[in-house]
Amino acid sequence: MYVLETKNMTKTFGGVPVVNRLNLNIREGVCTALLGPNGAGKTTTLSMLGGLLKPSDGKVIFKDQEETDHRQMIGYLPQYPAFYGWMSGIEYLVYVGQLCGLSKKEAIRKGEDLLSLVGLTDGAKKKIAGYSGGMKQRLGIAQALINDPKVVMLDEPVSALDPHGRREVLELMRELKTKTTILFSTHVLHDAEEICDDIYIMKEGEVVAEGTLGELQRNYQQPAIHIETEREIKQWSSTLLEKEWVRHMDVKGKAVTLTVSDLTLSREAILQDPKFHGLAPVRFEIVKTSLEDLFMQVTKS
Amino acid sequence: MDMINWGVVAPLIAIQLILMTVALLDLVKRDQVNGEKWVWAIVIVVFNTIGPIAYFIFGRKTD
Amino acid sequence: MRQWTVMYKKELSEQWRSFKWLWVPLVFMLLGMTQPVTAYYLPDILEQFGGLPEGAVIDIPLPGGGQVLADTLGQFSQIGMLVLVLAFMGTIVSERTQGTWAMVLVKPVSYGNVITTKWAAMLTLVTASYVLGLMSAIYYTFLLIESVPILDIVLGALLFLLWVMFIMTLVILFSSLFKSSGAVAFLTIGMAIVLSIISGFLPDLIQWSPGMLTSHSSDLLRTGETEALVWLPTTVTIVLITGMIFLSVSIVKRKEVIS
Repeated sequence: MYVLETKNMTKTFGGVPVVNRLNLNIREGVCTALLGPNGAGKTTTLSMLGGLLKPSDGKVIFKDQEETDHRQMIGYLPQYPAFYGWMSGIEYLVYVGQLCGLSKKEAIRKGEDLLSLVGLTDGAKKKIAGYSGGMKQRLGIAQALINDPKVVMLDEPVSALDPHGRREVLELMRELKTKTTILFSTHVLHDAEEICDDIYIMKEGEVVAEGTLGELQRNYQQPAIHIETEREIKQWSSTLLEKEWVRHMDVKGKAVTLTVSDLTLSREAILQDPKFHGLAPVRFEIVKTSLEDLFMQVTKS
Repeated sequence: MDMINWGVVAPLIAIQLILMTVALLDLVKRDQVNGEKWVWAIVIVVFNTIGPIAYFIFGRKTD
Repeated sequence: MRQWTVMYKKELSEQWRSFKWLWVPLVFMLLGMTQPVTAYYLPDILEQFGGLPEGAVIDIPLPGGGQVLADTLGQFSQIGMLVLVLAFMGTIVSERTQGTWAMVLVKPVSYGNVITTKWAAMLTLVTASYVLGLMSAIYYTFLLIESVPILDIVLGALLFLLWVMFIMTLVILFSSLFKSSGAVAFLTIGMAIVLSIISGFLPDLIQWSPGMLTSHSSDLLRTGETEALVWLPTTVTIVLITGMIFLSVSIVKRKEVIS
């Protein structure tokens, strides 16, 4: 069951598409990552889902059709959360809680619960202006949960944090995903692999790969050949590009990694090539690509 | 000038002093202001009334 | 309505914690006291510093109490207005540019509440400061110069307050349109000056203009009467204020929160 779907959701700024015909299917109770380099359109996507931007084309469909104000069922944390610095942490939570329709009493109770969930009980009465980056991020997650949302959207929740803060927030998200649906964006594959079930890899406003973590890992584990030589390999390797069994080639100095479609065929072809032996090979290895290689390809060019 | 009724003028001076004091207290307490702190301190003290108002409007960073 | 109250209170406490509730009323009280005190001591001051020739008879008549109060409102509409516009030019703009709105507007809040609570909280502080300033002026005028019929003062003060509200509503309207607080202040003050000047030059032609409120108010204070056409700018101003608020709400609603 999808809690949130988009159909050909598009956003153009000045005629240039930043998000292009995006189709997302967010499964209920699942943690989904939008993974991609900076400029892939992740923030724009989340902003549209949060209602801060209006899609130029296509639509966003929430499961609860009868609910007229979709903001009622989402929690949202922008990439750079901005609070009222003159409020304390608890004051802010009580304020946004009341905006969501809680009574003051309920908002206080809910706010205190959330502060202890994100580990901010000690800083509850401190002015937000004096919070560290990690504390703000945790308060940001707390405010996104104030209305018990069906979907929590977090925009790059860990990218601005130091390794320690990153660890804390990831642990918090791991805990959250047992309770609600999470959709978050990141440019770090490792973060996605660590806590996600579903992944959309985005590049230049479009989805280039999607699926569950397991599916993606299987699909993108392709056979590959890693070659290292003593002599310059560039010229020879460029002739390989014409071969139909080469899917992708990655040259680094005197090393080449070839992603191939047929391992047996390509192994024979290369080993029987006299020009290859002329390069004084030092290494010939059969390897498997990982999701990381796919992501690197996407991020690089 | 010895006819000046201090009961009349004192409130005027008092208000100016309050404005100046509060502006200075805020300046000292604040971590960051728009511009240099010592410049604001001079402005607040030297420019009677206008100095503190200018500080409240332009000096304080909204937080 | 509950949401409205919550947001209105938030605005008031924000004003409170940024000391606006302290310095804005004090500035108006200072402005209110200055005019009568200066008028009262002017002959003395001239005698001391005027450099008049020995034996010259100084005969500067004290202005009437109504005149002094009208002059005070003149101060309010120049220095006072400048201070108010500068104090509130960032109230919406900073929420937009700093990103605090992006966090609040993803919650189920009504855009009408967002704008009207800003407007109402701003006018609460403005009205309180204005009343305190005027009361200081009245106290000193009565003490040092002469009393003025209370009814004239109240009516004149109300007309002037309406003009102040009109200007502050312009701040809200321009804030919903522009991302720079400088632009908001510049346009609001420019608009106020243009309206005052036109109303001064062509009083017969634009009797409906909000700018006429100040001259009606001044007439009331000085002479105790004003033209029968007071209701015209009054009605027009109230309609304009209402219209500008609706316009601001629909602009903010249509605009994307981030861009």
